Amino acid sequence: MRERGGLIDGLHYRLGRSVLIGVPLAILVIWTTIPIVWAVLASFKDPLEIYESNTLLPANPSLDAYKTVLSMRGFDQWLFNSVFVTVVATIVPLAISILAAYGFSRYAFRFRHILLLLYLVPRIIPRVSLIVPLNNLMSDLGLVNTYWVLFITYTASAIPLATWILVGFFGSIPKEIEESATIDGANMWNRLRRVILPIAWPGVVTAGVLCIREAWNEFAFVLALINETDMRTLPYQLYMLKDSMGVQDYAVYNAFTILTVLPLLIVYLLLERRVVDSIVSGAVK
Amino acid sequence: MSASFVEFHDLRKSFGAVEVLHGIELAVQQHAFVVLVGPSGCGKSTLLRMIAGLESITSGFISIGGRVVNRIPAKDRGIAMVFQSYALYPHMTVRENLAFSLEMAKIKKDVMKARIERAAGILHLEPLLERFPAQLSGGQRQRVAMGRALVREPELFLFDEPLSNLDAKLRVEMRVEIKALHQRLESTTIYVTHDQVEAMTMADLVVVMNDGRIEQSGPPLDLYDNPATMFVAGFLGSPAMNLIKGTVATDGSAPVLDVGDGLQLPLPAGIREKPGAEIVYGLRPEHVSIGPPGSGLPATITLVEAAGWETHLYADMGQHVARIVSAERLNVAHGDHVSLVPDVSCAHLFDATTGARLSID
Repeated sequence: MRERGGLIDGLHYRLGRSVLIGVPLAILVIWTTIPIVWAVLASFKDPLEIYESNTLLPANPSLDAYKTVLSMRGFDQWLFNSVFVTVVATIVPLAISILAAYGFSRYAFRFRHILLLLYLVPRIIPRVSLIVPLNNLMSDLGLVNTYWVLFITYTASAIPLATWILVGFFGSIPKEIEESATIDGANMWNRLRRVILPIAWPGVVTAGVLCIREAWNEFAFVLALINETDMRTLPYQLYMLKDSMGVQDYAVYNAFTILTVLPLLIVYLLLERRVVDSIVSGAVK
Repeated sequence: MSASFVEFHDLRKSFGAVEVLHGIELAVQQHAFVVLVGPSGCGKSTLLRMIAGLESITSGFISIGGRVVNRIPAKDRGIAMVFQSYALYPHMTVRENLAFSLEMAKIKKDVMKARIERAAGILHLEPLLERFPAQLSGGQRQRVAMGRALVREPELFLFDEPLSNLDAKLRVEMRVEIKALHQRLESTTIYVTHDQVEAMTMADLVVVMNDGRIEQSGPPLDLYDNPATMFVAGFLGSPAMNLIKGTVATDGSAPVLDVGDGLQLPLPAGIREKPGAEIVYGLRPEHVSIGPPGSGLPATITLVEAAGWETHLYADMGQHVARIVSAERLNVAHGDHVSLVPDVSCAHLFDATTGARLSID
């Protein structure tokens, strides 16, 4: 009898736990995915259906909107611009941040903490307030409407983010592991390449994904510093769609949005698998 | 005796304005097993890290094999170090961990393979070679850490409290294993620990450190039998030596130590200190015995620890608690009134102010 009571208690407990964890989780998932689901469904609708019908599901799903987007003149170029700028604005900041974070986390030098705080300044002040001075500066340098202006601004904005993430990851690697490598004959470059980076790899991937996201979604700088159609990136063009189309074709907007988000989503899914957690366990103690 | 292999001369280390090592002088013979022992913060680990090349030398010099190494990088000092935390590379298998230093030294593949196999054979690591550190137990990780030191075929092994993360049983096993390995390889070893049992059991030469200085160095039993200072006397030995402060007096013609409460301890006849001098009387717990009633100092038993092979007693003498170790199984219990008989011939006397050993004629 007592055992059965225990069993029922256990069931109650488990049920209660599932409700406590499951319900808020379900609400959160719905909350965050509804806009995306809505956008996906809307992209399959007929242009007028979005205005007329209140149903979520498209009456006659079609890929017309996607065809329209993909056949837009310049889409290939905008896609290329986005990819090119993102690749450069991920690799360069990562390379710089890895070296900077290594220095910050391993060497005790004067003003280390102040410098690390100053590093954050570009991310603390509102991006919009940078636009006018940046525009003036870049105009003077003759860089407006070039890839360089995007490389420079995107890289400068990504470095603090990546550095701060990596400082944390590098700092959590026990100093003895590196000292051991020093005694084993590894110079600084080998310690970084063979010991620190492989251990901190989840951190490097995290920083990389965030750099990709930053660069891919960047809007304010490209809007301010680029005004030639051929130099636009996907988010910029998404914004320009509103002006360039006579009738507000929400199906096309949404198809464009989905196509803009999709590559980023794929990158997320691919890299997430590579982040192997708790690899440090077993190193010490 | 062979020539000294490792030498420290007036070695000093400062962190900022704080000097943590104050002029260390020591010579270590080749093939010796040297244990640096002392309480936390005494500078023993700093000294070891300076030998390894992980800490800079503020002044003085260290020489290894007749070569001053102050400015020689860690990898070229001919040393290998086993860390307290093992510091294995978590992303590498045991084999890769062992191979790393050899790869860095650009050792040929076949030589590398032979050296790894030899180290793995000595330390019984063969079945573990393809595993990652996270898949190993504490003792296995410890052996991998030793293997990593071994493959380098160093002239000098450095151990930084390598057993402190292991449980008591494994610690004893590894202690034996390390000592056996040392005897087999005939390497020179410098071993840091805060555990005086490790120091006593493993060392050829024990170096007791305190507050950045060497208090005394010598063979373990020399230090145990003839501690040069009160610190060494109190640090080595478990249970610790009885140290009782008192004033030299005379009882008739015989010198005694007045320790308060009307208690008097007999002093060796050859004591040079004049009556009135303050000294500390040191007596190992095994040199105190329980005599017939009225034959010695009255005390009350407060604690009995029957370890099996010996019995540890704690007895209240008023102002002092006496520690007694007996090889016999004594029939005493908490609260018993006993008579303690010190073996005066084994007494150690120390200056109460300086802590230095007082000589007896």
